[in-house]
Amino acid sequence: MNPILAALGAIGRSVATGLGAVGRFVTFAALALSHLVRPPFYGRELALQLVQIGWLSLPVVGLTALFTGGALALQIYAGSARFNAEFAVPSITAIGMVRELGPVLGGLMVAARVASSIAAEIGTMKVSEQIDALRTLATDPMKYLVAPRIVAATLAMPVLVAVGDAIGILGGYSVGVNRLGFDGPTYLRNTMDFLEFWDVASGLVKGAVFGFLVALCGCYFGMHSGRGAQGVGEATKTAVVLASILILSANYILTEAFFSA
Amino acid sequence: MIRAQDIHKAFGPKRVLTGVSFEVARGESLVVIGGSGTGKSVLLKCLLGLESPDRGEVMIAGLTRPRPHELAAHVGMLFQGAALFDSLPVWQNVAFRLMRGPARMARAPAREAALEKLARVGMAPESADLYPAELSGGMQKRVGLARAIAGEPPILFFDEPTAGLDPILAAVINALIREIVTEMGATAVTITHDMRTLRDVADRVAMLHEGRLYWQGTAAEALASDDPVLTQFIQGRIDGPIPTLR
Ligand SMILES: Nc1ncnc2c1ncn2[C@@H]1O[C@H](COP(=O)(O)OP(=O)(O)OP(=O)(O)O)[C@@H](O)[C@H]1O
Ligand SMILES: [Mg+2]
Repeated sequence: MNPILAALGAIGRSVATGLGAVGRFVTFAALALSHLVRPPFYGRELALQLVQIGWLSLPVVGLTALFTGGALALQIYAGSARFNAEFAVPSITAIGMVRELGPVLGGLMVAARVASSIAAEIGTMKVSEQIDALRTLATDPMKYLVAPRIVAATLAMPVLVAVGDAIGILGGYSVGVNRLGFDGPTYLRNTMDFLEFWDVASGLVKGAVFGFLVALCGCYFGMHSGRGAQGVGEATKTAVVLASILILSANYILTEAFFSA
Repeated sequence: MIRAQDIHKAFGPKRVLTGVSFEVARGESLVVIGGSGTGKSVLLKCLLGLESPDRGEVMIAGLTRPRPHELAAHVGMLFQGAALFDSLPVWQNVAFRLMRGPARMARAPAREAALEKLARVGMAPESADLYPAELSGGMQKRVGLARAIAGEPPILFFDEPTAGLDPILAAVINALIREIVTEMGATAVTITHDMRTLRDVADRVAMLHEGRLYWQGTAAEALASDDPVLTQFIQGRIDGPIPTLR
């Protein structure tokens, strides 16, 4: 066959496959959302997931924020010193933390921790026929497994981001005071005076969106896991990769929407 | 009670079921035998609506082409691999159905009911608070059995209920299945490779071979039959019409 036609055919097929995959993912998301509002609700499962996803992610998110806040303060100091604008270190560190790095790095860490564990858990349940068993026991896996995880991640992420923001600012503060020679009370006053409500709120909204995406990816790839240990491994990897990419692209879109113009 | 008509099921190019038809009357116990990989488990999943047949129709408990959740009140299923929920202790696995749904039981009575079912499959109460990962294969199987019968459904599907059990426990389980059918009037479909199960549990035997039900009859007829395929299978002989490489 004509090589150009063959190449076009191959491209067409992969585009079709890709669109099909996107379609299935979006359909799954819509289905999951529709299950969030229809009973029965599994409160116990939700509570368990809030602990799993929220509470147990605190150390990871906290440490990430602490070191990021410290490094951010050092870099901003290095940059602003070139313009004799060192006074801006506290406010810019805080803005960078609450608007961008808090939600994004927190989201990525939670993606690594939570999307992977959700995908592995649900995937294992699928390959060991536990999902089938659930269905024969009149329990809809979308309601029993997927909905609680999505709700828990969407609720927990903003809280994690808020905690991360505070710890990140603290990290910047301790570097500022101990390494860069700032006066403690002045550093804090500068931070507080410059931060606006929307700076913080936008980060929390981002957090909620990222939490939703993380749980959605984990659940989708878990529920569609292939057979055997290899299938579960593949599902886990894909869930983390896609969750991370979706977080970064959603972050750009949300930043455009919130702060452009 | 159960009717399957001309069930076809293929996975990609692999044709597993090619026209399976049978009926099981209320209160009857059907035992399905057949070589490994012939599609017995797939057949049960088609009956339950967990797999959708490519062709053919299933009727169970008055429902045509039932979906799994519609059957939940009518059917209890023991999966071949037990399929216990890892995240729940043994007793909550057994009481899963009892503690959910419109007629849910409180925790304490549900636990009592679970312990009673566990005792019937020969599980001591100490195991109730263990997690499935802490059980041996045969113990998992018995917990799965307890979960299947917990809601006292009128129809029961057992996928190799005695596989992995010692001869004494296997006899306990066979007697239990027989009792559920005879005394409680349940309808049962049991897949097995265990000829004692066939003798003790079956009202009727069906043999799945090459995608179809090759042979059907009573247990006594099956054991006395001189059909070459059936006798090779039942006696476990190496040479005969059934290939050993499959
Ligand atoms: N989801 C699936 N995807 C692809 N092939 C499958 C799937 N499920 C079953 N099969 C194939 O269908 C065939 C029948 O499988 P099944 O599990 O029903 O066998 P079986 O009769 O229960 O065997 P055994 O006695 O060993 O349990 C096998 O060849 C298996 O490879
Ligand atoms: Mg099987």
